[in-house]
Amino acid sequence: MMAVATHSGAGAAAEAPAPMPRGRRSTELLMLLFALGVVLAAYASAGLGLNGKLPAGLIEYGAAFAVLVLAAHLAVRRLAPWADPLMLPLAALLNGLGIVMIYRLQESGRGGNPGNKISTMTASTTAYQVVWSAVGIAAFIAVLAVIREPRVLQRYTYTLGAVGLVLLAVPALLPARFSAVPGTGAKIQVAVGGFSIQPEEFAKLALAVFFAGYLVAKRDVLALAGRRVLGIDLPRARDLGPVLIAWAASLLILVFETDIGTSAVFFGMFVAMLYVATQRTSWLLIGIGLFLLGTYAASRLFQHVGERFTIWLHPFAGSNPTHAAFQLVQGLEGMGFGGILGTGLGHGQPFYTPLVQSDFIITAFGEELGLTGLMAILLIFALIVQRGLRAAIGVRDPFAKLLAGGLAFVLALQVFVIVGGVTGLIPLTGITTPFMSQGGSSLVASWAMIALLIRISDTARRPAPQAIQDEGMTQIVRAG
Amino acid sequence: MNRALLRLSLACLVMFALLLINVNYVQAFEATSLASRPGNVRVFDQQFQYKRGSIVAGGATIAVSRPAKDGTYHRYYPFGPVYAPVTGYDSVYGPSVAGTAGIELAEDKDLAGTAPQLAVHNLIDLVTGKPRLGATVYLTISPKAQQAAYDALRAQGRPAAAVAIDPRTGAILAMASYPTFNPNRYTTLNGAKLNRIDRAYRNDPQQPLLNRALQATFPPGSSFKIVTSSAAFGTRAVASPQSTVPAPTNLQLPGTTHVLINDGNEACGDGHPPLIFAFYVSCNTAFGDLGLKLGGSVLRDYADRFGFNDPDLTVPMPVTPSVFPRISNPDYTAYSAIGQFDDEITPLQEAMDSAAIANGGTLMTPYLVQEVQAPDLSVVQSAHTSVLSRVVSAQIAGQVRTMMIQVTQNPAGTAYLTANEHVAGVEIAGKTGTAQNGVNNTGLDDAVFTCFAPASKPTIAVGVIVKGGGFGADAAAPIAVKIIQAYLGVS
Repeated sequence: MMAVATHSGAGAAAEAPAPMPRGRRSTELLMLLFALGVVLAAYASAGLGLNGKLPAGLIEYGAAFAVLVLAAHLAVRRLAPWADPLMLPLAALLNGLGIVMIYRLQESGRGGNPGNKISTMTASTTAYQVVWSAVGIAAFIAVLAVIREPRVLQRYTYTLGAVGLVLLAVPALLPARFSAVPGTGAKIQVAVGGFSIQPEEFAKLALAVFFAGYLVAKRDVLALAGRRVLGIDLPRARDLGPVLIAWAASLLILVFETDIGTSAVFFGMFVAMLYVATQRTSWLLIGIGLFLLGTYAASRLFQHVGERFTIWLHPFAGSNPTHAAFQLVQGLEGMGFGGILGTGLGHGQPFYTPLVQSDFIITAFGEELGLTGLMAILLIFALIVQRGLRAAIGVRDPFAKLLAGGLAFVLALQVFVIVGGVTGLIPLTGITTPFMSQGGSSLVASWAMIALLIRISDTARRPAPQAIQDEGMTQIVRAG
Repeated sequence: MNRALLRLSLACLVMFALLLINVNYVQAFEATSLASRPGNVRVFDQQFQYKRGSIVAGGATIAVSRPAKDGTYHRYYPFGPVYAPVTGYDSVYGPSVAGTAGIELAEDKDLAGTAPQLAVHNLIDLVTGKPRLGATVYLTISPKAQQAAYDALRAQGRPAAAVAIDPRTGAILAMASYPTFNPNRYTTLNGAKLNRIDRAYRNDPQQPLLNRALQATFPPGSSFKIVTSSAAFGTRAVASPQSTVPAPTNLQLPGTTHVLINDGNEACGDGHPPLIFAFYVSCNTAFGDLGLKLGGSVLRDYADRFGFNDPDLTVPMPVTPSVFPRISNPDYTAYSAIGQFDDEITPLQEAMDSAAIANGGTLMTPYLVQEVQAPDLSVVQSAHTSVLSRVVSAQIAGQVRTMMIQVTQNPAGTAYLTANEHVAGVEIAGKTGTAQNGVNNTGLDDAVFTCFAPASKPTIAVGVIVKGGGFGADAAAPIAVKIIQAYLGVS
C-alpha cells in the first residue's frame, strides 16, 4: 500500500521550484511583543479599575511573563525555525489574559469582598498561575526539544494509547476524596495534599497520538472494506470494534466521573479523526448517532444529566434562576451587563458567578471586556485552530496530518463545548477553557498541544532539502 | 485526507460562527431583558456605584445622592414628605412606579446617566475611567408654594391635594398630596426592611402612596360651572354675564321623576337672575337648565378643550384623565352641567380650568421639568412651553373672569368670607364646588376650589380638592389662599 506514496515524490520533483519559504521568526517576535503589550496593559487596567492604582506586581509579573514568552520564542527559533509564526503569540496572549482575569478575581474576592476568597482561590492563586504558565512553557520547550520529527511519536502509538486510558481511568477508580472536585460533583482529578492534577487533560494528548497512529495503520481497511446500503458505505462489523470501544470509554467517563463535557470532547475527537483518516461519511453518521443515543440514554438514566438539559432549555423558569440554573443565569446576566463595550477590567461584578475562575471565565471576559473583547478572544481561538488545520493540510506525513487535524479540532470542540455551554448555546458541561481557566493541568497540556502543532507546522513549512546534484529520475523512497 | 480536513475546517468554522452569533445575541439583543430581570444582582449593585443626578426645585435640592464611607452612594430627600408626590422615591428595587411614580421614574434615564443624550459624556467617562455621573433635573416647582401647600394640607388633616400652575407657561409651581409618605424610608439598603416599610404604606387605608394631585379623581361639583359658562358664551346661548337666565327653585328633569334643586332648596334670586348672579351664588337650577339647552355633546366638547378626557397628558408623569362622559341619557345632562353624575376631575385639572381662563382662554401644557443638565453643566434638555388647547376667545375668558371675581369679591359670593381681597391680600378670581358623592349622595361632600391671582394680571392658578371637606369655600379656599400668599409674597 505504501508504494502509492512514491509517485507523489516524482510528481513534486517535476514541478517548477517553489519560491523559498521564509521562517518568519521576526514576525513571531513582533507579534509576541504586541501580545505582551496587550497583557501588560490589561493587567495595569485591572489594577486601576480595582484599586485606582497600578497593581503592585506590575514590574515583577510583567518581567516574569516577558522572560517566559521570550524563552518560548528562542526555543522555537532554535528548534522549529520554520514553524507557523502566529501560534505562539496567540497562545501567549490567551495565557496572559487568563492570568490577568485570575488576578482580578483574586483581588475582588467572592461577592466583591476581598477578604472572602472565591471557592478554589487563595491569596496566592495568581502567583501559582504564573508558576503553572512557566511549567507550561517549559513543557512546550521540552516537547519541541524531544520530538524533533512528528513521526517519532508514531512508534509509541499503543504505549500512549495505554497511558491515555490509564490516565482517564485513574480518577474514576480512586475514592471520591481524592478525585472529586469540590462544588461540582465531578470526579476528574487526583488530589494529594493541596496539590491536584487533572489527568484527563494529558490523556487527551496521549489518546490523540494513539488515534492518529492507530487510524493511519488501519485506515485502508476501515475505508475500503464493507457493504453499501442505501447509498452509505457501511463498515464491516469487526471494524466497528475500535469505534465501539471509544464510545464505551467516553460513556464510562460520563457515568463514573460525571463529566459530560470531557466525554463529548473525547468522542468528538475520535470521530473526527476517524472521518479524516477514512474520508467515509458513514463513520461520521455512525459516530454522531451513537453519541446522540448515548446522551439521550444518559439524560433519561441519570438525574444530573437530565437536569443539564432542563437548565439549558428553561434557565429562567420557576426557581431555576436561584437554584439549578443559578450559575448559568449569573454568567448570562454578567455578559448582558457588559453589553457591547463591557464594564472595563475591575469595574464589573464577575465574582457573583460561581466557578467564574475556571468553567465560567469566558463570561467574566464578556462582562468586563464586553461583546467586543469576547469576540476578539473567540477569534484568537479560531485563529489557533485555523493555523493548526493549515499545518495539517500542509504536512505530507499522514500520521502528522491526522494528529494536527485531531488536535486542532479538539481545541475547537473544547472551546465550543465550554463557551457554548456557559453562554446557553448548548447544555452546560464543565470543562476548562484552554489557556485561560485557573489550574495547572489544562494550561500545561494546552502548551504541550501548541508545541505539537508548532512541531508539525515546522515540518509542513520546512523547504525540501536541496539536491546536491541532479540525479535524474532516481529517487530515494523511505519506507513509511 | 485533505478533502476531509477541509470539511473538518468547515465544521470548526460553523462552531465558531455559532458561538459568535450566540454571544452577540446574549450581549447585544438579550442584554436589556437580562438587565430588567428581577433579582439581577449586578443591576441591583450598580445603582450604588454612581452618583445619581440631583433633583432641584427653584434653588432647593429636593433629592440628592450622597457618598457613604464605603464609596457607594445613597439617595437622600432633604425635605422628606413635602416633595414626595413630585419626586416619588428611588429604592434598591428601582424608582417608585404607578400611583407613586414621580420624577425619579419619569426622568430615570437622565438621573441615572443612561439617556441617549448623555451617551457622549458616558463614552468619554468610560474611556477616561471616570465613574458615571447622572444628570441634574431642574423643576418648575416653587419651594415657597410647595411648602405652603404641604403645610396647609397637613394642617387640615383630611385626604386632599393641591396643584398650582403658572397660567402663562403651564409651569407647575406646586403639587402636594396628603396623606403622603416619607421617601427617605425607601432608601434603606436592607431588602427585608424595605419590604416591611413598603407593605405598611401599601396596606395603610389612608393611601399615603397615592399622588392625589395627578392620580385621584373627584366629582368637580359646582367648579364645573366654569366649563358650562364658557360653553354658554362660546355657543352664544348666553350673550353676557348680565343676560338673565331661567333659574326655577325646582328644575324638573324631562322624562324622569328627578327634580334638581339649589343648595338648601332655596330660590335663585327672582327665578330669572343674570348669569353672573347664578354663578357667584352658585345656583344649580340655572346651570342645570343651561346644560339641558346646550346638550351633552357641546358640554363634552368644551370639557375636552379644558383638558378633560385626555389619556395622553404627561407632566412628565402620566396624569389620570378627568372625565366628562358621553351622556347616554340626555335627561342627566343637567346633572353633568353642574359637575355631578359621572363627572370626575383631578386637582391638576381644577388648576388647569382656572389657568385657561387666567391666560385669556389659552391653556398651556402643564409641565414639571424646566431643564436637564449634564454633569459637565451643558444643558441636554430644556422645556419649551406649548399650547395644549385654545379653549375660548380672550373676550369670553374675560367674561368668565368677571364672574369668577364676583365669587370672592361680592359679599354674596360663595368664597367672599374666605378669599376676598382683604382676607387674601390680593384680588382672587375663583369658583367653589361642594360635590356630593357616595351612594345616594350619603358620603361627606368633597370641597373644591379653583382660582387664579392676581385677578387682573394672573401669575398663579390653583386647584384644591379636600375629600369629605364639606363646603368648598370653607375647606378648600383657605388652602388655595395660603398657596397664593406664599407664592406672591403677600399676607
